[in-house]
Amino acid sequence: MNIKEYIESGILEAYALGALSEEERIKVEADLAMYPELVDELSSIEQAMQAFAESHSEEPPSHLQDKIWDAISEQQEPEVEYEAVEEPSTKEIQLPTTTAKQPSMLRAAIWAAVLVSVATNFILLSQRNQSREDTKVLTAKVDSLSAEQSEYAAVLKAYNEERAFLANPATVAVKMNSMKDGMAMNGMIFWNKEKKEAYLALNDLPMPPDGKQYQLWVIQDGKPVDMGMIPNTMVAEKGMMKVGRAIASGQAFAISLENEGGSPSPTMEEIHVLGAVNG
Amino acid sequence: MTSHTTYTETELVALLVQQSREGFNYLYKQYSAVLYGVIRKVIYDEATAQDVLQEAFVKIYNNISKYNPEKGRLYTWMLNVARNAAIDKLRSKGEVMKGKIQTGDDIVYRSENELKTEQKTDAIGLKESVASLAPEYQTIVELAYFKGFTLDEISKSLEIPLGTVKTRMRKAINLLRQHLSN
Repeated sequence: MNIKEYIESGILEAYALGALSEEERIKVEADLAMYPELVDELSSIEQAMQAFAESHSEEPPSHLQDKIWDAISEQQEPEVEYEAVEEPSTKEIQLPTTTAKQPSMLRAAIWAAVLVSVATNFILLSQRNQSREDTKVLTAKVDSLSAEQSEYAAVLKAYNEERAFLANPATVAVKMNSMKDGMAMNGMIFWNKEKKEAYLALNDLPMPPDGKQYQLWVIQDGKPVDMGMIPNTMVAEKGMMKVGRAIASGQAFAISLENEGGSPSPTMEEIHVLGAVNG
Repeated sequence: MTSHTTYTETELVALLVQQSREGFNYLYKQYSAVLYGVIRKVIYDEATAQDVLQEAFVKIYNNISKYNPEKGRLYTWMLNVARNAAIDKLRSKGEVMKGKIQTGDDIVYRSENELKTEQKTDAIGLKESVASLAPEYQTIVELAYFKGFTLDEISKSLEIPLGTVKTRMRKAINLLRQHLSN
C-alpha cells in the first residue's frame, strides 16, 4: 500500500470527521492497526480536530454539573448491546499502561463484596478472639474468686470453731509467761479438759534460728509430755493453732526451743514460756 | 484550553473508571465547554443540547471500557461520543430530513452567518482561521462533523465527486494544522 497516497486521499480526515460508512470505517481501523505511520497522521488530524472543536467551545449552564453527576451516579449499568454490536469478542480495552483496569461494575461489586466480607469476617474473628480472651480472663477471675472464697470459708470455719471452743464454759485459758529475762513474750493455751482439746496462741516469740524449732509440752504430774512441734509459720503469723494431740490432764504448759524435729524431753534452759493451769 | 495536558490520556481513563466525584469534576471542568460547543453546533435548542450533554457524559462513563486507544485519542473519542449523541438526538427528532434536504448554499450561508456572529465575542485566532477557510472547505467540515453527513451524502448534497470531498477535507484539516503549528 502506498502510505503517502493513502494519506493524501483524505480518508483519515473523513474518518476523524466521522464521515465514513460502517464498512469504510472498519477498513480504516484495520489499516490503522497495520501501519503506524497512519496512526501518527491520524493523531495529528485529531489534534487539529480538537482545536477546531475547542474553537467552538461554549460554557454550559453551571447547574448542569451536579445534574449530570447525579445522572452518572444513578446510571452505572454498562450498555451491553453496544458491546455486542460495536466490538468483536476478542477486543477488550487495551490501555497503554496496566494501571487502569476494566471497569466492570460487576467486578467492582464483587470486589467490594469480597472486601466487605473479608473486613466483616476479620472484625467478627477479632471480636470472637476478644470474646475468648474475655472469657478466659473472666474464668480465671471466677476461679480465683472461688479459691479465695474457699479460703475464707475455711478461715471462717476455723474462727467459728475457735469461737465456739473459747465460748465453751469448760475451756480454761492458761497464760504462759516469759522465762527469759528481757524478752517480753507470752503464749496462751485454751484447754478444754472435757474434749481433751487445746488451742495455742503465741505473742512476740522470736523466730527460731536456723535448725531450731519450738516444741510444746504439757506437764503431767511433774513430768513434761511432748505435745508436738510448733510450725515456724505459726510463730511468724502470731496466729492460733489447734494442738494436734489429745490432752487429758496436766498442771502446766511450756514451750521450749529445740533442734528441728523436736526432742523427747525439753531442754530446761531453753524453756521460753511457762504457765500453770489455774485450779 | 491547555490545562487538560496536566493529565495524560491514560490518567483520564483511570479517572473515568474510578467514577469518583473529583474525577468527574476535573473532566467536566476540562471538557464540558468543548463538548457542549460541539453539541450546540448540532442542536440549536439549548435545553435539548443540555440534555444531550448529560447523555454524552453518561455514555462516556458507561462506555469507557469500550474505548480503544488504538483507534484514536481519548479526547477525540469523547468528542465523537458527544457529537454522535447530538446527531442521534437530531435524527430521533426527525430533524435530520430537514437538515439533509437543505442545499449546500443554505448551509454555507448559515455557517458563515453563525461564524460571523460568534466572532464578535470570540477573539481566538483559531476560530478566525476556521472562518477564513474557503466556504467549500468549511461547509464540508461542518456537514461531516456537525451534521453527521457521510462522504456519500456530502457528495450528493453538494454535487461534487466523492474524491473531491475527501481531498477538501484533507485541505481543511491541513489548514487547521498549519495554524496550530504556527
